[in-house]
Amino acid sequence: MKNYPFWKSFTVVSLVLLGIIFAIPSIIYDEDSENWFLKNKINLGLDLQGGSYLLLEVQLDVLYKEELDNFVDSVRLISRDQAVKIEKIDIQENEVVVFFGNKEKIKDIKDSFFQMYRGVTLQINNNKLSIMLNDEYRKIIQDSAIKQSLEIVRKRIDESGTKEPLIQRSGKKRILLQLPGVKDPERIKDLLGKTAKLTFHIVDNENTSALQNNLAPFGKIIVPDMYEENTKYLLDKRSVVGGENLVDAKGSFDQTEGHAVSFRFDTEGAQKFGKVTTNNIGKNLAVVLDGVVITAPRISSAITGGSGIITGNFNAQEASDLAVLLRAGALPAPLEIVEERSVGAGLGADSIAAGQIAAIIGMVLVCIFMILIYGTFGALANVSLIVNLFIIISLLGTIGATLTLPGIAGIVLTIGMAVDANVLIFERIKEESLKQTKVFQIVKNGFDRAMSTILDANITTLIAAVLLFAFGSGPIRGFSITLSLGVIASMFTALMLTNFLVYMYLSFANKKELKL
Amino acid sequence: MFGLNKIIPVEPNINFLGLRRNFLIFSILAILISIGLLSIKGLNLGIDFKGGTLIEVSTKNTSIGELREILSSSYNDVSLQEFGNENIILIRLQNKSNQESIETVNSVKNLIQDKVVEFRRSEFVGPTISSELLFRGFQAVSFALIAILIYIWLRFEWQFGFGAVVALTHDVLFTLGLLSILNVEFSLATIAAILTIAGYSINDTVVIFDRVRENLRKYKKLELVDLFNLSVNNTLSRTIMTSLTTLLALVSLFIFGGEVIRPFALTMIIGVIIGTYSSVFIAVPTLLIFKFRPQDEDD
Repeated sequence: MKNYPFWKSFTVVSLVLLGIIFAIPSIIYDEDSENWFLKNKINLGLDLQGGSYLLLEVQLDVLYKEELDNFVDSVRLISRDQAVKIEKIDIQENEVVVFFGNKEKIKDIKDSFFQMYRGVTLQINNNKLSIMLNDEYRKIIQDSAIKQSLEIVRKRIDESGTKEPLIQRSGKKRILLQLPGVKDPERIKDLLGKTAKLTFHIVDNENTSALQNNLAPFGKIIVPDMYEENTKYLLDKRSVVGGENLVDAKGSFDQTEGHAVSFRFDTEGAQKFGKVTTNNIGKNLAVVLDGVVITAPRISSAITGGSGIITGNFNAQEASDLAVLLRAGALPAPLEIVEERSVGAGLGADSIAAGQIAAIIGMVLVCIFMILIYGTFGALANVSLIVNLFIIISLLGTIGATLTLPGIAGIVLTIGMAVDANVLIFERIKEESLKQTKVFQIVKNGFDRAMSTILDANITTLIAAVLLFAFGSGPIRGFSITLSLGVIASMFTALMLTNFLVYMYLSFANKKELKL
Repeated sequence: MFGLNKIIPVEPNINFLGLRRNFLIFSILAILISIGLLSIKGLNLGIDFKGGTLIEVSTKNTSIGELREILSSSYNDVSLQEFGNENIILIRLQNKSNQESIETVNSVKNLIQDKVVEFRRSEFVGPTISSELLFRGFQAVSFALIAILIYIWLRFEWQFGFGAVVALTHDVLFTLGLLSILNVEFSLATIAAILTIAGYSINDTVVIFDRVRENLRKYKKLELVDLFNLSVNNTLSRTIMTSLTTLLALVSLFIFGGEVIRPFALTMIIGVIIGTYSSVFIAVPTLLIFKFRPQDEDD
């Protein structure tokens, strides 16, 4: 002991104590503890605590298409004002090409159009005007759509009562959701699967030939019924009022109508709704949700109070879900679920139990093996190994890392690999013991010679682990985290703790010769 | 103590390099067969890389046959498999588009609702995502190999880097070949396993190379073959010890770690064995190609 510096023993002992103390919160694992210390526990990944992971993709193509349709409408209006005849409109994937009857006023039309849509690329070629969606314009559409979608998704998830959801943008056009503890992912998927665009339109009952020919005249649209596919309505394209003017929606029950959704407009919405219902008494008003007519009742009297109910063939759940969607607002574009991973709480608990058993048995096997091979030195290495495990757990807890099932596999693997540094050292000591007899010199040389090998060997493993983190996703990252922490902790425990223990043992046992 | 460490002599003297031709032929054959298998039979891609739907259920009062009958009337491409015990069943479906499959999950759940105690897990990976995941997996593996090569090249002479890469490529291909034969499911976790194997195998190789480098400085007159033999022998007990402790932990994971982690554990077990073998029998003999004696030795 005489040669072992105090600062070194102090550092080793305090690091070990810290490692053990900070592992306590994760070992006790009190889920709801607000205690500042006990809060530093490992987060369990969705695969261990149960929950849903969803990746949604915003269908931007729908938005681009919509924007092209808007261009067409605007061009028609402008050319009507300028009294120029349009011969043909060609809508392509990325652009609208308008063929005019004459080319005199084409420049004016282009200028007026540019007033409305700045940033669009316009090109005149003889009597043709091409309107293109350029990248910049697309990016504006994309960014605002994602931002809006995130907000709406957040509102809908909050309304569904999910605790501690994680909702974030992922890449260019995706939204990532992590919903811990969700029992019924189907309902969440239903909530997210609807755009929930609600609009009210006056029904045109006079123009029956349009419906028969299935050809909507300018300014009108044909919309199918929600329940009967063959029933179609001819509606004014312009909606009189929409979901953006709603301030509240609730599921309600009515003796005669059954389950329904009652809603209330804001002041602007109430005014519009009042005006339209006053002017169109006797006509039908269609309630359109995501491109289908839910109901189209006749306006029997003016509705000026700003509230009403939507009836359909709803059951209680459908009515309340529709109310949730209407309260949260419409998505700018449909969302498509491109990836889903849901784990029930039962499987999660099974995985934790199995992981614990595997870790403990692996640990016991390795410990027995080490003692069989290296005797007392093996036992010392085992102390390091156990401390190593505590350090991994405490690091995971304090940095707030997430433990996943592959993460547990990483820990078990680390148990096997962590003794490697000890083995390297002991083998060197064995070799040195053949060359000389001074016990402390043998040990010192053993550690010194093994050092560079240990560094080289562990850094290569770290490189693999770091790259796994950089390119991996979800649970795999959990694996790379535990593997990296395990490798780092094993270098510390081998080079410092085992070193300390070996010196302590040799001084106290007062060994005069070393046989390994 | 127990004296078990005497099983491996302190200074073993086994002529590993003398056997190099036999092992070289064995490895070349193994690699050729692996490449053949990978191109003809391919890997058993899981839904991570193939896309599709997977549902794990625990059942009551039913059999896998009954469930298969119920489901196969509605779906052509459905496969069922017992998972761990006879009450837990894994259902896999192949879908064509994203939308279809989200509905698939719902309708499968409705069809078998009354036979099921718990829906333990449902996963769906759309076609765009699965190809992205595959791409990123390859990216990760290639970058890891390159990064490890750069590290070895910085720490050792470039000839060692070459030897390490030959051994690594050997390990990855050989492991993939065995995964193909054994029909082990290839998933994201398998990619993680392969990368860890790469790290492990390099780790093993580096320890031996370290000793080769040391001995090159120490014994300037020794024949290269003898020097390499000596280095392998010097590190032999460490090579065996570390492989054994790692395998002990992995076998424990394989047996007790649960169904989900089993393919991962199996891949790692295969990889650790191959990695250990290649460090001794492939990486070191590769160094013989070069007639090197580091000329500029300052220390």
